[in-house]
Amino acid sequence: MPDWSTVLDFVGLYLIPGLVTGSIYALGAIGVSLLFGILRFAHFAHGDLMTLGAYLALSVVTGFGWPALAAVPLAAAGAAIIAVGLDRAFYRPFRQRPTIISVIASFGVMLMIRSAVQLIWGVQSLEYKSGIERPLLFFDQLRIQERHIWIVGVTGLLVLALHLLLTRSRIGRAMRAVSDEPDLARVTGISTERVIQVTWLIGGALAATSGIFIGIDSHIDSYMGWNLLLPVFAAAILGGIGQPIGAAAGGLALGLIEELSTYPWIGDNPLVSPDYKTGLAFAIMVALLIWRPTGLLRGRQF
Amino acid sequence: MDTGTILYLLSLATMTGLYAILTLGLNLQWGFAGMFNAGIAGFFAIGAYATSILTTPPAEDRFGGFDLPIPLGLAAGVLLSAVLGYAIARICLRLKSDYLAIATIGIAEILRLTLRNEAWMTGGNRGIAGIPRPFEDMEQPWGELCFLLLVAGIVVVLYVAIERAWHSPWGRVMRAIRENEEAAEAAGKDVVAFRAHVFSLGAAVMGLAGGLMAHYLKFIGPDATEPILTTFLAWVMLIAGGSGNNRGAVLGAGVIWVIWSGTELLTQRLPPDWQTRSSYIRVFLIGLLLQIVLQRFSHGLLPEKPPRPPESDSG
Amino acid sequence: MSAPLLEASKLVGGYGGMDILNGVDIAVGSSEIVVIVGPNGAGKSTAMKAIVGLIPLKSGHVAFAGEDITGAAPEHLTARGIAYVPQERNVFRTLTVEENLAMGAYLRRDDIGPVTARIYELFPALKDKRRQRAGELSGGQRQMVAIGRALMIEPRLLLLDEPTVGLSPKVIEEIFERIQAINGAGVGILMVEQNARAALTIAHRGYVLATGRNRFADSAEALLANRDVAEAFLGGAGYGADA
Repeated sequence: MPDWSTVLDFVGLYLIPGLVTGSIYALGAIGVSLLFGILRFAHFAHGDLMTLGAYLALSVVTGFGWPALAAVPLAAAGAAIIAVGLDRAFYRPFRQRPTIISVIASFGVMLMIRSAVQLIWGVQSLEYKSGIERPLLFFDQLRIQERHIWIVGVTGLLVLALHLLLTRSRIGRAMRAVSDEPDLARVTGISTERVIQVTWLIGGALAATSGIFIGIDSHIDSYMGWNLLLPVFAAAILGGIGQPIGAAAGGLALGLIEELSTYPWIGDNPLVSPDYKTGLAFAIMVALLIWRPTGLLRGRQF
Repeated sequence: MDTGTILYLLSLATMTGLYAILTLGLNLQWGFAGMFNAGIAGFFAIGAYATSILTTPPAEDRFGGFDLPIPLGLAAGVLLSAVLGYAIARICLRLKSDYLAIATIGIAEILRLTLRNEAWMTGGNRGIAGIPRPFEDMEQPWGELCFLLLVAGIVVVLYVAIERAWHSPWGRVMRAIRENEEAAEAAGKDVVAFRAHVFSLGAAVMGLAGGLMAHYLKFIGPDATEPILTTFLAWVMLIAGGSGNNRGAVLGAGVIWVIWSGTELLTQRLPPDWQTRSSYIRVFLIGLLLQIVLQRFSHGLLPEKPPRPPESDSG
Repeated sequence: MSAPLLEASKLVGGYGGMDILNGVDIAVGSSEIVVIVGPNGAGKSTAMKAIVGLIPLKSGHVAFAGEDITGAAPEHLTARGIAYVPQERNVFRTLTVEENLAMGAYLRRDDIGPVTARIYELFPALKDKRRQRAGELSGGQRQMVAIGRALMIEPRLLLLDEPTVGLSPKVIEEIFERIQAINGAGVGILMVEQNARAALTIAHRGYVLATGRNRFADSAEALLANRDVAEAFLGGAGYGADA
């Protein structure tokens, strides 16, 4: 029977960080999954949307002096609008073309966003605020950072809000309809362009939030989004294409797997070396793509 | 012309040649076999590292240093890339192009992580320096010129070989597969094997490009191959050249590299505090160029098939 | 017969430049059931898709209630009271039956309670399954959802592309019976069908297409009685593609 302090250590050092990483993945994965479902292509620039959101928030923080969390709505709105603009400029011309062309375009958009960020904000690693925060104390022994509670909590609320949107609102049902059968949706009079715009708004806002959370949790730099792109794709695929809530679950699962994999389950050494921790998500994703591309939750085959 | 300009022009031409080789390899995979490889940098890196490990003199903190002759090193890189390419193709062949893109990027990233972490073999972040270059003992700029001729020669040989192959019976099968896969399969052709072979060949060529680049730059590191940039530039080159054909590949490599390098030259004239920013501006412009080229010329990118009517009313 | 509700004349067109239709005429009166039959490759589904605007027309005209709708996009037709049920992919698989119907009424802003109730009356089996995902239903039930979805706009004209394909005879009978009921409520129906004989039994008139042209056009009874037609064109699924 493991003693209480080992359990609390586990919770504090592995489980909670796993939930935090998982939340960050989840928010990015939802956007990717929605875009996969409705536009049917892999949006390679999604990671850099996350980066963009983080930097927009940085400007808000340095400009208005607000704490990073308070900057989320503004930065997310900005990123959402930019995402719609990007679609109009670079993806809309290819609606009727094979999706691979949109993928190539998104490659280009990825680099454009990144270089623009580097141009405007520079390449050094930055933080929203300096100084060390004292963690909150639970049960006299469990230390949890306040920011972690915020990250996981807000993510939970956002996922819930999305679920309600998709199941209870007219536009949400329309989104699911377009994702299922775009041609039929057109016939019933649903404006696919409107649905696509809303999808970009949501995807952009969630990506930005995810990026800001990374920044709150550690730091921001111009490669942060790119570093998360593959785990985010992995999560979206894990949860099943076109199933955004599944993607959120996939993100959470991946984050937990990643953090828990470095726990010394057997003996004294981490099961997976921390150097390769990020590689774990890639490996899972490649394995999924090869053996089970519909994901664990029976999503759509592409 | 002063030596500086001559050397610059030589390097311009050499890099163009190296990227031409890379793009020819990509065109094999995309133009011939219709497979979208987003992990070009991976094969490039394998070629580069294989030859570096084999041809450098011994170094104390690193495995390798066999000091083998350059052709052997290059051959090893080519072979390794070919094998890896074949393996990946066989496993991933049935994936839709988006999935293949993600898978190949994933594999390339895993590779890069391994290259960075397994410092005992690869020198980790510090990379491998002191890689021998062919003709480096000769007086400059003649040594550089000879290397350029070597690269140009390889480009020509590759180009001719690939063109020949395209018009050969084997090439006819490939074209048939590209046009109508089901029909080719029904005719008894092992589509998967053909595609995997082509992918593997393309990977081999990419490995060659990587190896040659390593020898040219005399240094290699996990990020020295600038993975995203390598992959991305190759694709831009292919698309700009009006992909699907070899001439386009070489042409695209030339045009894009000149633009890329030329803009570097221009930005060197800028005041210092603008210099670092200039590289970002250049990446941004290349990205923008890609969008423009895609929107204007993307119809050359794929053989557009007429939409197939559903089976029940096949007429 | 009063002025036709739908009049398509001299339709020429097809997929990607190939002309599958070589001058087809179709007309539907406002309270008729009209059936399009013919061998595989005759252009039946293509004709319907051309009318609905899913396939470009090289030449020809389509008029609905006197108004020219040639080349109009499908969503505009829905707004005008023409409902279309494609042969494949005709339900939203991950949406429930209820949600499918609601999507059918997407363009309506009024309370859809009454019309939904009427759909459930027409297809009682759907009422029990209304919280179930459409993709999980049987073939016959899915077809009912597809038709129900189309009826949510209370159309004047219903276009059905092979509504009974792949269904068992008993279900086919049921579907045809429902179609008659719909027609009885005042909806004009144009139907492409493989089960030619059975379809003609419930129809008022029929067109027999072959190689993208009208071969025969007559009342349903006359077609059924006609020996040449019966031998060559009726009697079930696919024999001899004509193209």
